[in-house]
Amino acid sequence: MDWLLIIVLLPLFAAAAVGFVPGSQRRAIRGITIGASGLSLLCALIAFCSFEVGGGLQFETKWIWVESLGLHFHLAADGINIGIILMGAIVAFSAACCADDITHRVKEFHVLLNLMIGGILGAFASMDLFFFYFFHELALVPTFIMIGVWGRGANRNYATYKITLYLSFGALLALVGLIGVYVQAGAKSFSIPELIATVQATPIDEAAQQWIFPLLMFGFGILVSLWPFHTWAPLGYGAAPTATAMLHAGVLKKFGLYGLIRVAIPMAPAGAQSWLGVLAWLALANLLYCGLVAVRQKDLNQLIGNSSVAHMGFIFLGIASLNVIGLTGAVLVMIAHGLLAALAFGLSGHLYRQTGSLEMGRMGGLLRQMPLAGSALLMALLAGCGLPGFANFAGEVTVFFAAWAAGLKTVTVIAAWSALVIGGLYMMRAIRAILHGPLGGDWAKAADLRPLIATALGLLLAALLVFGFAPGLLAKRIEGDVEKIVRLAKPSQPQATEATGR
Amino acid sequence: MNTAAWLILLLPLFSAVAIGLGAYRSRLASAALSIGAVVGSFLLTLWLIAVGDELRSSVPWLAMEGLQINIGLQIDPLSRLMLCVVTGVGSLIHIFSLGYMREDRDFSRYFAFLSLFVFSMLGIVLADNFVMMFIFWELVGVSSYLLIGFWFEKPSAADAAKKAFLTNRVGDFGFLLGILMVWAAFGTVGFAELEKAEATAICGLAGFLIFCGAMGKSAQFPLHVWLPDAMEGPTPVSALIHAATMVAAGVYMLCRVFFLIEGTWAMEAIAWIGGLTALLAALMAVQQDDIKRILAYSTLSQLGYMVMAVGLGSPDAAMFHLTTHASFKALLFLGAGSVIVALHHEQDIWKMGGLRERMPKTYWTFLIGTMALCGVPLFSGFFSKEAILDAALENNLLLFLVAVLVALLTTFYMTRLFVVAFMGEPRSAHAGSALESPSVMTVPLLLLAVPSVIAGYFNAHAPNPLVLAASLVVLVFGMLVANSLYSGAKTDPLPARLGRLAKALHDRFWFDEAYQWLIDNVQENLAKLADAIDRWIIAGLLVRGTHGTTELAARVLRLAQTGNLQTYAFWFAAGMAALLIFTLG
Repeated sequence: MDWLLIIVLLPLFAAAAVGFVPGSQRRAIRGITIGASGLSLLCALIAFCSFEVGGGLQFETKWIWVESLGLHFHLAADGINIGIILMGAIVAFSAACCADDITHRVKEFHVLLNLMIGGILGAFASMDLFFFYFFHELALVPTFIMIGVWGRGANRNYATYKITLYLSFGALLALVGLIGVYVQAGAKSFSIPELIATVQATPIDEAAQQWIFPLLMFGFGILVSLWPFHTWAPLGYGAAPTATAMLHAGVLKKFGLYGLIRVAIPMAPAGAQSWLGVLAWLALANLLYCGLVAVRQKDLNQLIGNSSVAHMGFIFLGIASLNVIGLTGAVLVMIAHGLLAALAFGLSGHLYRQTGSLEMGRMGGLLRQMPLAGSALLMALLAGCGLPGFANFAGEVTVFFAAWAAGLKTVTVIAAWSALVIGGLYMMRAIRAILHGPLGGDWAKAADLRPLIATALGLLLAALLVFGFAPGLLAKRIEGDVEKIVRLAKPSQPQATEATGR
Repeated sequence: MNTAAWLILLLPLFSAVAIGLGAYRSRLASAALSIGAVVGSFLLTLWLIAVGDELRSSVPWLAMEGLQINIGLQIDPLSRLMLCVVTGVGSLIHIFSLGYMREDRDFSRYFAFLSLFVFSMLGIVLADNFVMMFIFWELVGVSSYLLIGFWFEKPSAADAAKKAFLTNRVGDFGFLLGILMVWAAFGTVGFAELEKAEATAICGLAGFLIFCGAMGKSAQFPLHVWLPDAMEGPTPVSALIHAATMVAAGVYMLCRVFFLIEGTWAMEAIAWIGGLTALLAALMAVQQDDIKRILAYSTLSQLGYMVMAVGLGSPDAAMFHLTTHASFKALLFLGAGSVIVALHHEQDIWKMGGLRERMPKTYWTFLIGTMALCGVPLFSGFFSKEAILDAALENNLLLFLVAVLVALLTTFYMTRLFVVAFMGEPRSAHAGSALESPSVMTVPLLLLAVPSVIAGYFNAHAPNPLVLAASLVVLVFGMLVANSLYSGAKTDPLPARLGRLAKALHDRFWFDEAYQWLIDNVQENLAKLADAIDRWIIAGLLVRGTHGTTELAARVLRLAQTGNLQTYAFWFAAGMAALLIFTLG
């Protein structure tokens, strides 16, 4: 079955369908959106379960698009993106459920939301550079419009400008790098597997790799809020509508990381060797510096935003380790963080609806006032400081092992301090301020989660727990395909000596 | 047998999940599930002990090239003993909680958390590798956090929970690094595989880092500050987690990985840190007035003993003392809980007194606990303390003297507590009208009193005469001094006699204040600096600067775009002229 095609097309058809429904039919619009993303999720789940470990590219759809350029519409999944697609579908469904806080221009919002979902899922499913990039832009542009039109807060316009400029610039840098790859590889094809096969036979000229890799690293890095290009993220998420923040922070942002693993490292392994050291230190800056910034935040969304930027450090560090353990860990954290970020922004969206403020100093005792939302937030914040039992821990601890094995010992020591102590510090302070203590003044009338949202967020929480208790479900799928990439990047070194790390 | 071992671990998890998913609506069902699970684990443990086989059984948790992490169980004499302590003491405390928490509105949540704790603790006990131990180590940390902050609406409880979690995290930081070092050096994290491997030079540093984890959980100096504050939790929790089991996890872990640290410099460091903790905590206990805090400092001090014993190369003595301490300290805490409930949640010993007649069962069991803790001959604490003192005398004379001094202080503060709280005249109305607790609370007390008396005989050795003499002298001396000072006293006479020193003891040598200062001045300033750079330099100067320069350039260029044809014509002509001059001249 072409599961991926169905997964990607359902939201895009839903976008078109919503376009034909009159704006007054709110229920129909919501129903189509939730139904489409729900079906997508179901298909993603089937694909994930029927995925054959070690079976190469699966669920392929390959149509010729422009033959003379070697351009194909090519969807396929291997161990690296199958988990991400499942995560993306879960987040998309939850975001669609949480989007009922939109009260004006409901129809337009849902058209954009469906486009964004289709774009996100398409970007991660594409095996063709052109569509890989096209789907990303298809998801990115609605993001800007949604923040600008349906955003919140006084800073909304500035936030929209900033996020648009930053992300467009990042995407542009990456585009230059991707064109560089296409030209230098000389494969006359946009197909990622074909490009990889070509560079494996005749690698791209080393001098060219030295400029292609940094272009991709910083281009993709900006999209993921790599330090010091991170200030758009907390600002943007603070101003974004709930569903947009969930989708962007949860899934779309991972595109840059996915691109690094899928394209940058295999295409420019020599460039990677000389630049990944830099990436490791920038990753540390994400973890330590953004963690410290998060400690100072007084607004819940700013805190989640900054902590989410800090968590990107784990993924960068895993990539910078450039060994099987590290890349597997990086993909694990990508999936775990996607679920977690969506959960956290979904909950903060619920809180925002209650009083129109997320100032932590005025909250307190919400665990009693709203047991359901409170417990979910408690678990989300604990997962955020790396508690075992949630998927994040499995990924983070794997990254630590990888970085240590790769010889990045100083970085690992400081990263572990940032993760365990500083991460613990801001999460504990948030719990103390929001959930514990006597009830905050403005919150006496606040209501708990309604069943629809509770289901949506419960799904995210359940996924975090399932992958936390059994990370092997993901790791066994990821490992084999990650290993191929590591072998491409480091053909000379046998992995066994690498792993002992001495 | 395999199934039994897994069931021991999973029964409490099942209970916690079942309560969380729906059983919480019924108080009876919650309590029944939780108590059923822990008693079930206890019975299975007894069966395992009766069978007596060793067992290893594991399932992969996370496996990839170069990194293999299992969830595996290891049943051997060490884990069987600890299983017995955790589930045995745990069962009694679960039952006691029925009475203690009967009026609490979050009764079901309490039992769910208690089950979660038992699950996590059993995970540490059964773990057959470092990563699994670390996983459950963290889970124990969070269940302790949830239970300390059980009454989360009370700011002091919420703060204490936060403090406990973060202090533990500092220790876990070292633990994680230690695990990474061991893995890098040996290529495995399994205890059995490591035991076979040849020791290398990094064992000292790795061992010390791993000990940092124990420093957090077992509240050793300098990470001891969280334990007294943890008394904000419900008293049965203090008995189970912060006296008998969780805080002993550090000692258990050290015994489990003793092969790694044996013979390295880490041993010396561990012994001294243990001795220092024992001494400092015993000193602080002398001037506390809250019954639970006195017991908390006493726990710190006894944990110091155990850690010191490990450092002195005698893990058997440490485990022996851990076992006896678990029963008599749980007994003392539950006794304190019985008193606290009877006095309507009064915890100040100077508002107690005269409870001997009013609460005879609590009185007698508390007396047994006190005698066991002080090491009165033939009680369980006597034998286990002798074992530690023996080890100290053999290895390190200075630490032996410290240990004897600690024994003296222990006798002193426990006699003080006992005389003030139970003897003499009632010092408050509540104390005058106190009633004995119901049997759901006193029966666990009686049951715990049994091992407090007899647990020592299972491992008794003939004592060294010098050690015996020293401990008897300090026992009698401590009791006499404390009795003469406090018998019939209305207030504490020590502050007047000791002056500044008493104040220092009472204020716990200002450790908390010093740490607070460090946090305020280092951590907060670093965070402020990062925040300021983010706000003013990256988001301000650089981003807005780029924006501003672009905008400025645009404004300057706009000046030329006047829309005035004559101006354009003028510039056109001027440009042509300049071009001509340039090419021709």
